[in-house]
Amino acid sequence: MSDPVVSIQGLSIDYVVGAGRFRAVSDVSLDVERGHVVGIVGETGCGKSTLAQAIPRLLPEPPATIGGGRILFEGTDLVQVPRWKMPAIRGTGINMIFQEPLNSLNPAFRIYDQVAEAVHIRQVRERKAGTVVRREPGPFDYSRRPDPTAKDAWSGKVVPGGAVPEAVHRRQVDQQAGGNRADIRREVLEYLRLVRINDPETILNLYPHELSGGMRQRIMIAMALSEKPSLLIADEPTSALDVTIQAQVLTLMKELIEEVNTSILFISHDLGVIAETADELGVMYAGKLVEFGPVGEVFESPRHPYTKALLRAAPTRYKSDGPLLSVGGNVPNLSHPPLGCRFHPRCSIARPVCRGEPAPPLAVVAGAASNHRSACHFAEEVPGIP
Amino acid sequence: MTTPSPPPIPSGARATGRRIGSGVLMFWRVLRANPLTLAGFLVVALICITAVIVIVDPHLLTRYGPDQITTAYNQGPSWAHPSGTDGNGLDIYSETLYALPLDLAIAFAIAGAAMIGGGALGLVAGYWDRPGTVSGALSVVILRITDVFLAFPSLILALAIAVSLGRGVWQLIVAILLTWWPYYVRLVRGETLAVKHLPYVQAARAAGVTDGRIVLRHILRNVLEPVVVYFTLDIGTVLVTLSTIGFVGLGLAYPGQAEWGSMMSYYQGSGLITAYPWTVLGPGISIFVTVLAFSLLGDGLRDILDPRSRRVLAGTGSGSITAAAPPTPEVPVAANPGDLVAAPEVRPAG
Repeated sequence: MSDPVVSIQGLSIDYVVGAGRFRAVSDVSLDVERGHVVGIVGETGCGKSTLAQAIPRLLPEPPATIGGGRILFEGTDLVQVPRWKMPAIRGTGINMIFQEPLNSLNPAFRIYDQVAEAVHIRQVRERKAGTVVRREPGPFDYSRRPDPTAKDAWSGKVVPGGAVPEAVHRRQVDQQAGGNRADIRREVLEYLRLVRINDPETILNLYPHELSGGMRQRIMIAMALSEKPSLLIADEPTSALDVTIQAQVLTLMKELIEEVNTSILFISHDLGVIAETADELGVMYAGKLVEFGPVGEVFESPRHPYTKALLRAAPTRYKSDGPLLSVGGNVPNLSHPPLGCRFHPRCSIARPVCRGEPAPPLAVVAGAASNHRSACHFAEEVPGIP
Repeated sequence: MTTPSPPPIPSGARATGRRIGSGVLMFWRVLRANPLTLAGFLVVALICITAVIVIVDPHLLTRYGPDQITTAYNQGPSWAHPSGTDGNGLDIYSETLYALPLDLAIAFAIAGAAMIGGGALGLVAGYWDRPGTVSGALSVVILRITDVFLAFPSLILALAIAVSLGRGVWQLIVAILLTWWPYYVRLVRGETLAVKHLPYVQAARAAGVTDGRIVLRHILRNVLEPVVVYFTLDIGTVLVTLSTIGFVGLGLAYPGQAEWGSMMSYYQGSGLITAYPWTVLGPGISIFVTVLAFSLLGDGLRDILDPRSRRVLAGTGSGSITAAAPPTPEVPVAANPGDLVAAPEVRPAG
């Protein structure tokens, strides 16, 4: 069971701004199992994007610094890996899809060049690792056997014993039999078809500005998948798209998760999106992971007052029965987080202990599933909150 | 593969295939749509062709060799001497012609070397600017040296270096180049700083592209556009500076080595300009036309190099799936001459 692709252990991330120090992510521990989709939800500013970017070490450091903890990716601690070694891990190891699909493609290059770069990076690494042996054709390919059904080029008759084909020049071999360039092109087309792009031959020659947002996001997904990453981090990949396109992209991602065996860390503030895609769900509040568990479990019986309030505030029907509910109070300022449990000022079941003592670490809740954990002193009481 | 597929793309999009010819065709369409750019391009082309002819076989354009003394002295423009002659009997038209390749070569050498050298420093200083690292310290050093050069009046500095190095083509190039590169550092660094935080650079990093490749491919291509425009405009500026240095008498030795600035300096200095004004007309008009042509071309290049404006400008609109060419904005008319009118946003035509 336990074979996590990435295992985050007690990770803290600080932003150093002037003399101030903001702990954007504090003491987050999280495992993403192989082949699973883990969703992270939380309000704006709760640290979910910071967490997402910290895993492939894409945060600008400074101002961000890793204050502590480990990011174990396939056995290596990414916190300790020197910066110049990170590009080798990014892409094929950990890949990322960003929030802004409209700006995530380089405006100066055609679609082909961009997808081909991703395919090329993977092919080079595979070749280096020795997983794929490239056939090196000689200057002339003599390996082609006489074809018994081939017609003679001059007479047009079937020759007994087979006509010997003309010697083929190296470049032609390259194009026909999977030389590098043809190989890349074939794969690029393959991945564009995988993300359901019709007529990829035409799309290849277009510039990003000639495509719609949904198309661009599909290209981004194709690029990410073409590197066959072990972990794909999707940082609100659909929030910039309108609802119909969003549904299309989500359906597509769900299908692709089944086709390509990739683990996904899915960051979103949209509970509906998470419910559709994720296997496990983590809820973040003010830089801390407050609840983690199987997505159905968390939705059915949340064990943290914040999750409960968040779910209550989510509009569930097309026609609302009354005014939209909200979580009372404000998101705390992370330069001066509330003492004790960070949620206590907004919590309906807060007691003196919540103010006086920090929240307990994530722990399995009595009476819940074995992997449903919550960071609340009174997790058992949460189902009783109206 | 069961999801409903998006509607097929109109076949017109196929017209933007990746052929060598299509780029040339596009270039021509943009030029045709922008008369000023076209004029600039044609004159620049004419100037370059002329320069090549002068190098290969000058007798196609003039009867006289370089520094050939004719029998006519101080004559005004005529069919035999379109730009007149000077007191030494030199045909000024021929001398101006012989100066053309040299002036162009010097201008391109200075602007080109400044662009490549300064641009490379600018890329480094812009991309690796993280404080507290070795590369960050290097960037600071580059920028402070740049500041020192920018703080000094560049023409004075160029003159001082030219004086200390003495006369000669290479001395002239070095003198101007030493004051020229800092502008490119500033320009490229600024553009790099703006580009490197854009999502597509982040996306490239996330895809595992190495820093060197990000700089040389993703950033350089997006920085190139303003730099090439600046370079084209800069050719004119270098020519003017070159002529200025020649004009104050620190350029090449004329008569002997024809260069437009030195020619003007010589004729002005020898007092011929009042009695025989045509002597300065040839080199003067040459400088004017060349600088103007490069400026016009540079303005138009901005539009040609930007893939987003290219198709709209060329008026093909074939490849657009999302947006057609914007409609021509209507110019609002003020009721009274003094009224303020909201200016419509018009893309510069070139």
